[in-house]
Amino acid sequence: MQTTRGKLHPLKTALEIRSCDKLVDFYITVVPVKQSNTVLKIVRQAIPNDGGLDIQHLRRFAKLADLPPEVRATIAAARHVSPTITNTDTGEEEEGVGERVLLVGSINASTKDTLTELLAPVLETLALVVIQVPFLTPTSQEQATRWTARFWPTVYKKSNLFGPHPSLANRAMESIAGEVENWLGLAEEVAADAHEEGRGERVGVVVVERIEGVGRVLAVAADARWLDWPRETNGNVSAHAAMRGVGIVAVGLKAKENLKSDTLSASSASLPASIFRDEPIGETERAYFQPSDKKGYLCHELEIYCTHEPCVMCAMAIVHSRFGKLVFRRKMQRTGGVCADGELGHGLFWRKELNWTMLGWQWCPDGEDKDGEGAVDVNLNA
Amino acid sequence: MTSPVVTWPEDAASMSEGERDVHVRFMREALVMAELALKTNEVPVGCVFVHDGKVIGRGMNATNASHNGTRHAEFIAISEILSSSTPKHHPSILQKCDLYVTIEPCIMCASLLRQFGVRKVWFGGGNERFGGTGGVLDIHLSNGRELGDKGEQRRIESDYEVSGGWLREEAIVFLRRFYVSGNEKAPEPKKEKKERVLKLDVEPVVKRAKVDG
Repeated sequence: MQTTRGKLHPLKTALEIRSCDKLVDFYITVVPVKQSNTVLKIVRQAIPNDGGLDIQHLRRFAKLADLPPEVRATIAAARHVSPTITNTDTGEEEEGVGERVLLVGSINASTKDTLTELLAPVLETLALVVIQVPFLTPTSQEQATRWTARFWPTVYKKSNLFGPHPSLANRAMESIAGEVENWLGLAEEVAADAHEEGRGERVGVVVVERIEGVGRVLAVAADARWLDWPRETNGNVSAHAAMRGVGIVAVGLKAKENLKSDTLSASSASLPASIFRDEPIGETERAYFQPSDKKGYLCHELEIYCTHEPCVMCAMAIVHSRFGKLVFRRKMQRTGGVCADGELGHGLFWRKELNWTMLGWQWCPDGEDKDGEGAVDVNLNA
Repeated sequence: MTSPVVTWPEDAASMSEGERDVHVRFMREALVMAELALKTNEVPVGCVFVHDGKVIGRGMNATNASHNGTRHAEFIAISEILSSSTPKHHPSILQKCDLYVTIEPCIMCASLLRQFGVRKVWFGGGNERFGGTGGVLDIHLSNGRELGDKGEQRRIESDYEVSGGWLREEAIVFLRRFYVSGNEKAPEPKKEKKERVLKLDVEPVVKRAKVDG
């Protein structure tokens, strides 16, 4: 197996994707540092509890110099035109000395007139302007940095309301990082076999069980949609690689159960004819088939490594099977069911309304970020 | 299994009595499969595929017996249709089939039906937890893509029609009977079994505009 270097990229959940652009209109105003407490007190009385909005991710006071240029320009413009501004209008160099900008409150929580009435007595110069700020808390430091540069100083609190907790996700990523290339390489290998032998599309998966930090393969499965099947339309939909991976693990569990109740008749020969391809096919799949030693429930907390982002059916099959971690190499922009930022946007690996969530990553090899030999038709349901 | 229909789904309003009876008859066949599942300690969901007015395949949930969380009724029925008949049916027969299933297909099955190209899905109870034809996602329409503000749905290839609410009370009571006794295979039950009470009254369906073809 050839070794390349690459990186795991945590997948964004549907909620993260949807929440990231949400902005709300807020009033801000310039306040002399000395008066900041007095003004904040008035604002808090005028808009109790920030009008029900959670703005803990936004700095309450900011230095003018720390604001994005557009916001500074808006403030400067307001001061020029505002008849009440007289003293600090001295140009760029001295801008903001001894002053802070206060995030007052949502435009829905109070009116400009009310705020002006309350603040005018304490602020010699009052310039209430409206800017857009991020509505929801950021889910990464990068996002916070981006928002700070574009909207308003934003703090990342090392939590994620819309996805797995960052520290948990990081620990999980460290636990698999050293093995990912290996498992994906194996998946590539069976995918290539299936493709060359005409059994299926060039798609493969590897199912791994991790006990005390050590990963072990339970099943390796390639796509088998064309095995004993007319070569038209979509082939045997139930024989996608991920469905087969799940099926092979199940056969392992079933064999163990039968062994226990000493009915050793679980050979596939006794099974009725079906469209399911739940037995290992070909040398590699057979060589790696090794049922778990544990008495597991479905694929509870197992890991699945996929050459391609699974389709909607397979993504949901992986959720139903209660996998703990999912890694894929090539994103299927049009048909993938895992990612939230593809064309479909389902983000099935982590959706609060489903009864199971898992951690998900895309693995990207270093250098030119190409699909390599394993590229498939963009419309394929992998 | 001869109890009268408690409530008619919205789609039944524009149908003749004869037409409604046809759908009820096939839904009863699906309920027979659900009952079989219940008796064998499986989540009681059943289905039948109908081709030219005849049932050509039956399925029931079999996840516990198979240790495979993907063995839903729809998979079992399709497998039967495409592997057990002599001579074998060509997979394209599914494009001329209607599916009657006691509970709305989950997201996985909705995608399976889309990829095999089924003609129409008739279901009983909605599936707010996993439903793929209106419950959670609309896989039957544009593969569940979120559509723009236009509201008008552009039909694309392999979209299929869906009609829900057929004998839903009976389908839901089956599910309740199962969950009251508890899925012994699932880990960590949320409630002690003795605390569970079988409710037999089914709340009326809340109008869900999404579930119509």
